[in-house]
Amino acid sequence: MPARPIADSAPDIASADFTDLVRRYQSMVFSIAHHFLTDVPAAEELAQDVFLQLHATLSTLKSEEHVKFWLRKVTAHRCIDYQRRRKLPQVSFDEAPEPMSPSQSSDPLVARRLQQFVASLPEKPRLVVILRYQEDMMPEDIAAVLAMPVATVKSHLQRSLALLRDKVTRTMGEVTI
Amino acid sequence: MTEMNKNPKPLEEALRNALRREDAPEGFALKVLAHAQQQNAAQEARRTSWLSIFSQPPLRWAAVAAVTICLVVGSIYYRNIQRQRAEGEAAKQQLMLALRIAGTKLQLAKEKVNEINTSRPESQPQNRSPRSRS
Repeated sequence: MPARPIADSAPDIASADFTDLVRRYQSMVFSIAHHFLTDVPAAEELAQDVFLQLHATLSTLKSEEHVKFWLRKVTAHRCIDYQRRRKLPQVSFDEAPEPMSPSQSSDPLVARRLQQFVASLPEKPRLVVILRYQEDMMPEDIAAVLAMPVATVKSHLQRSLALLRDKVTRTMGEVTI
Repeated sequence: MTEMNKNPKPLEEALRNALRREDAPEGFALKVLAHAQQQNAAQEARRTSWLSIFSQPPLRWAAVAAVTICLVVGSIYYRNIQRQRAEGEAAKQQLMLALRIAGTKLQLAKEKVNEINTSRPESQPQNRSPRSRS
């Protein structure tokens, strides 16, 4: 979703229409939460909390880019907090469900399996993968959002891709994507 | 081995496809806006409940009286400070004048003594006592 200026005449984000911001970024926030938690009601609740926090702190944000960065950062941290607080069961990587039969690349089941594999990654690597492939963010930007060194982000990405590749090899051996 | 397994790019493409953004549930924005309005209303209620103390006439008059008393006491205190400062300044001026007068008088006395000493230079040795000569 391309970022566009909220109001050309008013650079201050405080004057922006909160409704417009919610409509523009609801998909981004909800999707990060959903891919992380794999639970629609929990993701919806978390996304609502993020936007309510945005409503309370909107006057402190300077630009729309700042709002976007803030939303990604707060959503990421809330995802981790939510999972720890609720002690949501995390499927271990080896226990992630195996497909009943080989699938075709266009089959949504492949995407579903990949989502499950991503959901079975540890918290931080999972967020890194989600921000990288959902939001198409560069490692430097992910490092800024998650407040971690760029080298750590790259390391998480490499290890996660290796794990996912291994899992795909073991479970979907005949799939062509 | 699949193509995805051998080459990271297809895997990355598959991840992009699997993790693409999804639409938020139906009515999500409306729910958020409703909660935000409730948040606003609660904040407004807190603010007005604090200010509503002053809507009662006795308390309003008490507040006005308190402010007036503070202003009066403050102005009296300020005037006292100003008066004490002026008095101190006047005392300082008087002291300086007294010191100047005393200095002038001392100067005159010194001149007189010098004058007396210079007018009788030869009579001094005759007046000396025999004890002092020895």
